[in-house]
Amino acid sequence: MIRTPEDTTASLRTLVYAGRFTDKVSSAELPEGCKVLTDWDVLPYQLAALERATTLVVLDLFSFPFESMTRGQWDVPLVVTLPAGFDAPFLSAVFEEAVLGRLGFFDRVATADRDLWEELRLRYRWAGSQRIELHCSPPDEAAAKICGRLEEEAATPISSGEDYETIRYWRGRGDALASSAPQGAIHVAHHDPAFDKAVFRVQSEALGPQFVAARGARAEDVPFEVLEVGVGVGRWASKLDPANTRLTGLDVSESMIQAARADFPEGRFDLLEEDLLFPYAEESFDLAFTVSVLHHNPASAKRTLISEMWRVTRPGGRLMFLEDFVSEKRTPGSPVYPMSIGRFVDLVFEATAGRVVLEHVEALRYPHDPFFRGGLLSLSKVGTPQVW
Amino acid sequence: MPDNEFYTPDDIDLLRMENELLTFEVRFLKARLGQPAKITGSSTSLNRLAYLEDAERDLVLLLRRLSGSPVGPVLRRSQRFRTLEQKYIHSPRLQGSSSPERLAYLEEAERDLILLLRRMSSKPFGGVLRRRKAFRTLEQRYL
Repeated sequence: MIRTPEDTTASLRTLVYAGRFTDKVSSAELPEGCKVLTDWDVLPYQLAALERATTLVVLDLFSFPFESMTRGQWDVPLVVTLPAGFDAPFLSAVFEEAVLGRLGFFDRVATADRDLWEELRLRYRWAGSQRIELHCSPPDEAAAKICGRLEEEAATPISSGEDYETIRYWRGRGDALASSAPQGAIHVAHHDPAFDKAVFRVQSEALGPQFVAARGARAEDVPFEVLEVGVGVGRWASKLDPANTRLTGLDVSESMIQAARADFPEGRFDLLEEDLLFPYAEESFDLAFTVSVLHHNPASAKRTLISEMWRVTRPGGRLMFLEDFVSEKRTPGSPVYPMSIGRFVDLVFEATAGRVVLEHVEALRYPHDPFFRGGLLSLSKVGTPQVW
Repeated sequence: MPDNEFYTPDDIDLLRMENELLTFEVRFLKARLGQPAKITGSSTSLNRLAYLEDAERDLVLLLRRLSGSPVGPVLRRSQRFRTLEQKYIHSPRLQGSSSPERLAYLEEAERDLILLLRRMSSKPFGGVLRRRKAFRTLEQRYL
């Protein structure tokens, strides 16, 4: 079965691995669409069934075979319930390699212990909104709470009018989802969580080395100033080490900005006004990047954003664009303004007066997509510093 | 895509855009490896663009040097040389860093430079010209 971005609610299905608690958790007590898995259901030859899930809830961390999961199975968003009665060093020692160190922005952690959560959150740079707060520890109640929460998030109404206007659309999406379901706020309405997580994984694998390359041989104690345009709820903050990187995020949605501030207090997040002009001085950042933002904007807005990104980047600094360069023809109401890579590069030249040098190009193919759709462009800004 | 199904393209525009994306990546990688790719179309890597602009600059300088030399009047008897002079010295240069017209102009300049250098490198003048370091550099770079 192919899962495409359009193919979502039809396959909505939450799998709950109960393990040792199987006799206490029953599918009948969970919302429709949730299915309880026993130890027998997660034997290696049966794990392929996980790929059809939209979320996998692991109630029994000790007995789940994380080590047998394939890359495709890891793309299913996880909700991991932390076992009660264990401290953070113990959990890290036992589960870091198997699961905790692999959890990303689209995964969640369910626990009733606030202190434990905070300690682990700082260690693994999780977002505050990744926590599902439990008030009870019995597995059946925890399962019901988690499944209910997931169901609520999936059912959050999202306006999708006939006409798409970029700023209005993303503000509306931020208002509807940023606080209640931030993982769902950053992509257009028809994406499902498993697809979003897979896209994020592919994008992370491409961007990670480029972040390192952009930082270059800079000493660890020299802060690296990074600007993300269209930061949303700040999902990329978890990929940057706050010890040596200062992240600034811009977004048109006040709700998303507030969610990002709450989730990543070490970052700075500002509102981007409708004129799309950045509230920063020239040459303020070493890296300005944007992910899946420009292709949701018409050409004039693209030009303004690129020009502003170039303006606030220091000479020698990097500009990175990770966008979709393969899209269907635009139809009324579509949130995508298609632009081929050739036209986009011409636009970058035009918006920067050619004062950039191409450093890296990479085509990306997302799981379950027959096309290479994404493209990562990394460019250096050339010129003499005007600000010393 | 399931393993047991062949890929059946159904949207020509998607295929075209995907092809452009992959071609751009390949061009970039070739340029990075120091193998200038032969290119067509409106987009190109910056390395290739810089190479073409260098070729145009070298062609203009070479033509000016030839025109001003004692053999200039002799060369000017050739229709082809007069065409080159007219095109690259007397006409305004086509500007605009990334337009398709500019790219086509630069590629034509590269071709003209290569043809001119081949003609100059052949007998009987090649041996004499090759004594000059500047000429050897041009040969090395473009031939």
